[in-house]
Amino acid sequence: MSWSPMRLLTSAVLTAWAVLFWFLILGGRTSLYLSARTDWIVPVGAILMTIAAIGRLLTSRTAHAEPFGARDAVRTAVVAIPIVAVLALPPTSLGTYAASRRSTFVSGGIAADPASIATGRLDLADVAGALRSNEGAKALADRAGTEVTFVGFVARERGMPADQFQLTRFLISCCVADALSVQVRVVGATPGELEKDEWVRVRGSIYPLGREIVLDAREIDKVDRPKRPYLNT
Amino acid sequence: MADLAQPLAARTPWRALAWGTAGLVAIMVGAIAIWTGIPGLQNFLLVFNSLMIEAAPFVLLGALVSAAIEVFVPATAFERLTRLPEPLQLPASGLAGLAFPVCECGSVPVARRLAAKGLSPAAAVTFMLAAPILNPIVLVSTVVAYRGRDVMVPMVAGRAVLGLVAAMAVGWVIGGRAPGSILKPRPEDEHHHGEEGTRSARFFGHLAGDFSFMARFLVLGAAVAAAMQTFVPQSVLGAIANTPIVNLAAMMGLAFVLSLCSESDAFVAASFVQFGPASQLAFLVFGPMVDTKLGFLYAATFTRGFFRTVVVIVAAVTLVGTLWLEVLLG
Repeated sequence: MSWSPMRLLTSAVLTAWAVLFWFLILGGRTSLYLSARTDWIVPVGAILMTIAAIGRLLTSRTAHAEPFGARDAVRTAVVAIPIVAVLALPPTSLGTYAASRRSTFVSGGIAADPASIATGRLDLADVAGALRSNEGAKALADRAGTEVTFVGFVARERGMPADQFQLTRFLISCCVADALSVQVRVVGATPGELEKDEWVRVRGSIYPLGREIVLDAREIDKVDRPKRPYLNT
Repeated sequence: MADLAQPLAARTPWRALAWGTAGLVAIMVGAIAIWTGIPGLQNFLLVFNSLMIEAAPFVLLGALVSAAIEVFVPATAFERLTRLPEPLQLPASGLAGLAFPVCECGSVPVARRLAAKGLSPAAAVTFMLAAPILNPIVLVSTVVAYRGRDVMVPMVAGRAVLGLVAAMAVGWVIGGRAPGSILKPRPEDEHHHGEEGTRSARFFGHLAGDFSFMARFLVLGAAVAAAMQTFVPQSVLGAIANTPIVNLAAMMGLAFVLSLCSESDAFVAASFVQFGPASQLAFLVFGPMVDTKLGFLYAATFTRGFFRTVVVIVAAVTLVGTLWLEVLLG
């Protein structure tokens, strides 16, 4: 009985995938790619990949030598590309570049519940989603001047006054590929103090103006990117 | 053969190592570019990685089911299904998707294995195309995405019915073809058919073979989808939202490009409010059956004409069905 190079290579690739999933769990990076609704996929993936890798390793000895060429090796190695891509990419999340190219939650998305807008604490998705229905917009208009605290990153549109920016956050259902942006226009920022993609916490009062929501900032603090940078449906 | 294989096996790991090292170096160069802050590249990798992280466990799960069918299920088990009256075979295969919460990536290896084990190719393909739409998780996510809207019922029912009809239509066209006429032979199968030993050895052989085969095409598909998502602004579609038929085709094209998981695509479809419900339904029916990453998986699994058949029939059924909805909803 001798070790089969092809089986060992496949086992190594499965092991690398298992390591990737354990890395995502232990490094707390799952939330950079998946929503809270789908993050169970990562531990399941870690367990399945580990079992598959061990199983393949334990069955890698063979009585007869198996053919193994460079083409087989390259084909199998292609499967490992995403592992290197995840490990090489520093912990980051979608930013202004994506915001300029993706659909917005306000222009489409899911209508927020008017009852939850009328009372209680307002969050960024509530406020943005309110504009999807007349009832939601009316409920939000009734709360003009309400104090809110939102966390998001700074995005600027061309021609925007220096004391304004779009407080932006992405909302995902399953993974980053289905991200929709949520934006609120912040006024009253100190010009030149904030860079694009910088994460901030803004406290202030909201004022719906037509199809746009303005947040009159009373206090803006720079903060670290939240552990969960994306809001979830 | 063994004499020839032995020196090859001893020689090639070094070549493989050289190739692998070159690939890693190229990726590291890319990573350095990311650290210097190229937002487009960073965005591409985020989307690519998320697609792979989400899909890979499902591909492995599909490979696991496929390997279990190959090793533990006797070929005679499917004879009962083939004894069903012909008119019932396709609807039964399509409706089987209700009991299998597999996404489109996982259903391809399962269908391939079912066909290889004796289930008629038409029934296996009907199952493969219908399961990603009819599975309960997808139907519930569609309900959630359209909750609170007047069109919720037509969207959910329309998706299920049109999905089933399109899957059955493809199955009907495939008809009584033999598995060999639609399935491509794979070098991996030759490796594993020759694999001796216990059932567990054969099981892990098929599992690893199916996973590495499907995953490398998923890598290609995810890379193309991520590139399209990164470099083509979604707003370019707004201009054609009100042109009849073109709007439906545009949303089908978008579904093809975005390659979303069928469990999440309803939320994205619902975001395209510039398009009407019929266009959104076209997105929801066409995408789980035909998209970029699936194109690569189909091309690797089935013969060349198969993908063309799927695209033409699914597109035709989707267009006709959604046009009716457009007329009915005004």
